[in-house]
Amino acid sequence: MHTEPSRPHTLTDFTTALDQLRGSVLTMASLTKKNLQNSIQGLFLRDDDFCNHSIADDEEIDLLEIQIDREGIDVMSRFQPVAKDLREVISSIKIGANIERVADQAVNIARRARKLNEHPELHELHLLDQVIKLSLEMFEDAIRAFAERNASLAVELKARDKILDRLNKEATDELINRMQDDSRNLPAFLNMIFISRCLERIGDHAANIAEDVVFAVRAEDIRHLGK
Amino acid sequence: MSNDYTSSEAHPIQVSNETALPYELTDVVPPSETNFIKVNDFRFFYGKKEVLHGVNLEIPSRRVTSFIGPSGCGKSTLLRNFNRMNELIPGVRHEGDITIHGTSIFDPSVEVIALRRRIGMVFQKSNPFPMSIYGNIVYPLRIAGQGDRSMLDETVERCLRSAALWDEVKDRLHESALGLSGGQMQRLCIARAIASRPEILLMDEPCSALDPIATAKVEELIIELKRNFTIIIVTHNMHQASRVSELTAFFYLGNLVEFDETRKIFTNPSKLQTEEYITGRFG
Amino acid sequence: MLRNRFLTGLCIALSLLTLFPLISIVILVIRNGLPLISMNLFTQLSPAPGLEGGGFGNAIMGTLVMVCISLLLAVPLGILSAVYINEYAPVSPVSSAVRFVAKLLTGIPSIICGVFAFAAVVMTSQHFSAIAGGVALAILILPIILLTSEQALMGVSVSYREASYGVGATPFQTIWRIVLPDAMPAIMTGIMLAVSRAAGETAPVLFTALFSQNWITSVFEPTASLSVLIYNFASLPYAYHIKLAWSASLVLVTLVTLTNILSQMIFSPKQR
Repeated sequence: MHTEPSRPHTLTDFTTALDQLRGSVLTMASLTKKNLQNSIQGLFLRDDDFCNHSIADDEEIDLLEIQIDREGIDVMSRFQPVAKDLREVISSIKIGANIERVADQAVNIARRARKLNEHPELHELHLLDQVIKLSLEMFEDAIRAFAERNASLAVELKARDKILDRLNKEATDELINRMQDDSRNLPAFLNMIFISRCLERIGDHAANIAEDVVFAVRAEDIRHLGK
Repeated sequence: MSNDYTSSEAHPIQVSNETALPYELTDVVPPSETNFIKVNDFRFFYGKKEVLHGVNLEIPSRRVTSFIGPSGCGKSTLLRNFNRMNELIPGVRHEGDITIHGTSIFDPSVEVIALRRRIGMVFQKSNPFPMSIYGNIVYPLRIAGQGDRSMLDETVERCLRSAALWDEVKDRLHESALGLSGGQMQRLCIARAIASRPEILLMDEPCSALDPIATAKVEELIIELKRNFTIIIVTHNMHQASRVSELTAFFYLGNLVEFDETRKIFTNPSKLQTEEYITGRFG
Repeated sequence: MLRNRFLTGLCIALSLLTLFPLISIVILVIRNGLPLISMNLFTQLSPAPGLEGGGFGNAIMGTLVMVCISLLLAVPLGILSAVYINEYAPVSPVSSAVRFVAKLLTGIPSIICGVFAFAAVVMTSQHFSAIAGGVALAILILPIILLTSEQALMGVSVSYREASYGVGATPFQTIWRIVLPDAMPAIMTGIMLAVSRAAGETAPVLFTALFSQNWITSVFEPTASLSVLIYNFASLPYAYHIKLAWSASLVLVTLVTLTNILSQMIFSPKQR
């Protein structure tokens, strides 16, 4: 639809409020990204400090989710937005919820990483390399699509989610094999499987964010197609 | 369409006898038709100034259609052409056509008086006559020659009930209409407008002078009335348009920019201009 | 501050000053006219010069008759013309001409009305008559009635007309059922104004209805009128007749005032 940024509202407060809502979402996204990176760092560098930061900083992200909901409802009740504005507000609220889930997954990864750090280092960890890479990229691209109002980028993400699912399955299957061979390190391998699942869920949330972006920009609902 | 203008059943607006009773003609309610009112390449001029530029529009029957747009966009002007009220202003002319049920309203065989009796109009500022409530409602019937007392009584009750005003005024029907509140006066005007059982109801910003509660009552009334009438409402309150109408036409500077289902216009309009207007970015 | 008070005081003083002539006239007329007031004035004819007693009942009758004739002529003409120029063709050369001429006519000296009626009615019929007097008065009051009726019609809210046309009324139905009834109070006030004017005029009546010592028997005959009676009796050298003239003045002033007050009382409350 009309993706180019249009002129501001006659009512300045309205433009300000919409911008503020958008800003809150982007702030929340960048904090979450940082937490995610911290968790992964903690995992690979075997450093509990990173993990602890990640777990502690999650509180701020939760507060932001509440703030976004409040700001969104405020815009709706004060200005009764329609059309594009309405879709943006609703999408922002939904994306806020999705980002919060991603942040929760980052905390889960941090917790699992701490557990793994109690065990000796295992090279099987690198089975997760591709999963980690794709998952982080997807989240980053989803946020970029939101920031740039880029619907085409968002559409691609749904396809990549399928790839992520496959990669996750492959990694999990391989780890299960290793578990059968090396039962001494069973707990460690289990943790890795869980971490992989967290990353796969992050990918799902990134795909959800992408769906909401497409709705906001193009007024198309691309959820649940071809399932 | 047949050109037999003496057959009043086929063409309800062809009342050639000024005193013909309106009741016999609408006992059969026509089914909903999509091109009940058609506007064809309609241009309208105040003297030399062209204020409507080639409007094309098809309004279906028994739906509520709203006309929205900034001040001066021509929406009221177009509305007032449907019952040829603009002809009361000197120096106006038009090109193009407007048809109702297939017959042009400008056809020489159509009497303006008869046309106006088939179409009810409610104005922005309520304008009850300086007479009793009863007198106001039976006025359209009396000027059509209907004097039968029981018929008049029945009409008054029917119209006031339809306008959700009966309970409030049934004990003071013969008191002056000017003693009513603003919202009641407007509902009285609506009751008067439907007294001669018109097929079409034109409303020109009917709520702009009313408080929110009165507005809500009138809106509720509109939604009730659409079962039996084709309603066209001009409003500058877009939220009202989105609440009560099923179809919305957006006008700008004398042009029809977009005409679509209200739901679509307010969630995902096709034209950038429409979106900018309804989101408050201009106008 | 001081200047403010001074100007306020000046305005008050001047306003009171304008009341002065009116009050003086009223006092004078009452003082001089009251002594002879009795029912005789209304029931008896005038005494011969030099004698006393009697009244001027015929003059009162005559004035009333001629005012009625003038109303019969001027009221339909005035109101219907006003209806035409305001409702049917407000913007047209004819209406502009009518308005212009009516305004001119309001300034016409009343004696000219009399002269015209003399030429038009008296000379053609070879009779002085009450009708001629009525015609002269009609010409006098026609512009008043026309212009005040036009104002009255303009005062009717446009929205009433719009509402009426909106439900499919013809212009005639709209005028007859809505506009005229609503304008009627103001129109009646205008008519009352005209009546008070007509009742008091002397010059138009002077050489159309002439005068008569007797009761009026036919409208085709000359008739007495209060204004001419006052004029006649005031120039007589008989003290009694002069007193009668004062009483006639009192009666005339009272009649005119009562008419005004009545019209205000009956018709004003409706103008909310």
